Amino acid sequence: MRTLLCTFIVAFVALGQTPASQPVDLPGAVDSVKFAVIGDNGTGKQPQYEIGQQMSAARTRFPFEFVIMLGDNLYGSQDVVSKFERPYAPLLQAGVRFHAALGNHDAPENRSYRPFNMGGDRYYTFVEKHVRFFVFDTNLLDETQLSWIEETFRQSQDTWKIAYFHHPLYSDGGRHGSDVELRVLLEPLLVRYGVDVVFSGHEHIYQRTVPQKGITYFVEGSSGQLRKGDVRATAMTAAAFDQDQTFMLVEIAGRQLFFRTISRTGRIVDSGVIALQPET
Amino acid sequence: MKPHALPQHLMAGPWFGRTRSVRLLRFVNDRFLWLPLGALIALIWANTQGETYFAFAHALAFPVNEIGMALFLGLITQEAVEATMPGGALHTWRRWSLPVIAAAGGLAGAAFFYLGFVSWRHEAVLVQAWPVACAIDVAAGYYVLKTIVGRGGALSFLVVTGIVTNAAGLLILALWPAFTMGHLGGAVLLVVAVSLAAMMRRSKVRAFWPYLAVCGTLSWVAFYWAGVHPALALVPIVPFLPHQPRGLELFADRGADDTVRHAEHTWTAVVQVILFLFGLANAGVLLRGYDTGTWAILAAALVGRPVGVLAAVALALAGGLHLPRHVGWRELTIIALATSTGFTFALFAATSFLPTGAVLAQVKVGALATVGGAAATFGLARMMRVGKFAHVRR
Repeated sequence: MRTLLCTFIVAFVALGQTPASQPVDLPGAVDSVKFAVIGDNGTGKQPQYEIGQQMSAARTRFPFEFVIMLGDNLYGSQDVVSKFERPYAPLLQAGVRFHAALGNHDAPENRSYRPFNMGGDRYYTFVEKHVRFFVFDTNLLDETQLSWIEETFRQSQDTWKIAYFHHPLYSDGGRHGSDVELRVLLEPLLVRYGVDVVFSGHEHIYQRTVPQKGITYFVEGSSGQLRKGDVRATAMTAAAFDQDQTFMLVEIAGRQLFFRTISRTGRIVDSGVIALQPET
Repeated sequence: MKPHALPQHLMAGPWFGRTRSVRLLRFVNDRFLWLPLGALIALIWANTQGETYFAFAHALAFPVNEIGMALFLGLITQEAVEATMPGGALHTWRRWSLPVIAAAGGLAGAAFFYLGFVSWRHEAVLVQAWPVACAIDVAAGYYVLKTIVGRGGALSFLVVTGIVTNAAGLLILALWPAFTMGHLGGAVLLVVAVSLAAMMRRSKVRAFWPYLAVCGTLSWVAFYWAGVHPALALVPIVPFLPHQPRGLELFADRGADDTVRHAEHTWTAVVQVILFLFGLANAGVLLRGYDTGTWAILAAALVGRPVGVLAAVALALAGGLHLPRHVGWRELTIIALATSTGFTFALFAATSFLPTGAVLAQVKVGALATVGGAAATFGLARMMRVGKFAHVRR
């Protein structure tokens, strides 16, 4: 009965916020920050290439400047040509930058692979206009990294704060679920320093949560891999999709973040707007 | 092992209910079951109320892992030092040689299988966890083997193999961090601590606690300052403690008839509490966190180490060494498999070598799952009709 109720609530919330028939438009403002999001993509198989094609097609209408990669950028043999350079060749040729986080399937040495723009670091930060991105390595969350995270958060005066890393703090995926241990360590910092949105991968589905302590969590782990039917929706699920590979388009204009999640076939499976958290 | 006798007056009357509890506590105590109990509570807690568990576990981690475990490793060192003294069960090199070779083979086999598995799966981030695959839970192996074959050469063989393997692991742990200036300051302080212990020994100080409280504390600060795992702090101090030679009856009641033994009793009791807390703080893992690292640890422990042990012993025998009395290849196969449980030491190694994160989580699940090695050992012993299963019909 409780499960049924949860499913009903989730379906209601999902439909209420993100009606597939009336997707929220990306405004395409001149001064906005536009980027794409992919995770668990580096399989080198056909679906990854098809997502790459969809991203290229989307860029003709929505000229995003960079892509954030949520980890597991290269599965198995770390063959950057067949698992990265070819699938995203049109984007790379157009000068689109990629900023990668490390997943459990990534060789640590990949941080020095120039097109991943990690500057040789496992964790790093970069800024795009009024948006600061914080990239963590959740494979090995040592004391040094935790101190760096807190210090970098403290120093940031940017309007928007977005964190991304591979392992999700909140997930309704059936295989892994939420990484509660990481949540205990990271969530207090994310909340205290006013992070607005968090992106993760690892779980091979797409999911958006209802804001948790003011933060919206996205799981985008199906840009190459896919675990069909793996979503176990609960009350924290705002939207989820596990039937096809997906990627996301995001635009931050002023105090609003617009997002669209698009499947391999070009279908919009989720969209919406997130308002900037009020200053605390 | 001499059982702890209960006073007769506790065996009757209204106290009977309480004596059952006392006996249960004694049972848990005598068989070193506090750690598995702590681990079980942690597992249930982590997988039902994760947020409260991990907040609790992280708060407990430093005092237990960095301070409390120093007493546990000190006790293990004490066992090893006393066994190698004149009159001890491992005094002569002949008793050492074959198990040491077996330990080397087991280490190589476990490391090879672990690294091979990780390399096959192309998960380079897991490479640094290889020492976890090498750890042996000597107590678990001891009880499994004792149940199957009883006392004798097989048991000594297993214990020495386990102690040598874990000693190598501790050495790796001590050498793990990169050199910093803190090492130099720490080394100077360590020399002071060890010299003080030597002076106490020279002055025939019989009491146990001055060594632990004064020299041990200085040594702990030295290790901490140097950036070396401070749980190793008592290892260089223990050889200076008053000792008596002993056999290999691990965790046995040694009588409380002198200062040394009395202090050891207290020490063992404190260590039991620490092991319970260690299990509680470290064994709580999300079971869905299993991944390649889990399978790599299991492959290394259940296949790599036994194969390494057997291969190394075969080479040593070909080189002219001899098996202990009453130990043949069938018994040796069971000994080799009995080394497969990593549990306590694997968990300790995991938390020592790896920070919090996905790598630690999957490796910890593997460390816990090596408990399955005990069941596999019983199964194989039954199949091969070894020890107590010698007369079992197929």
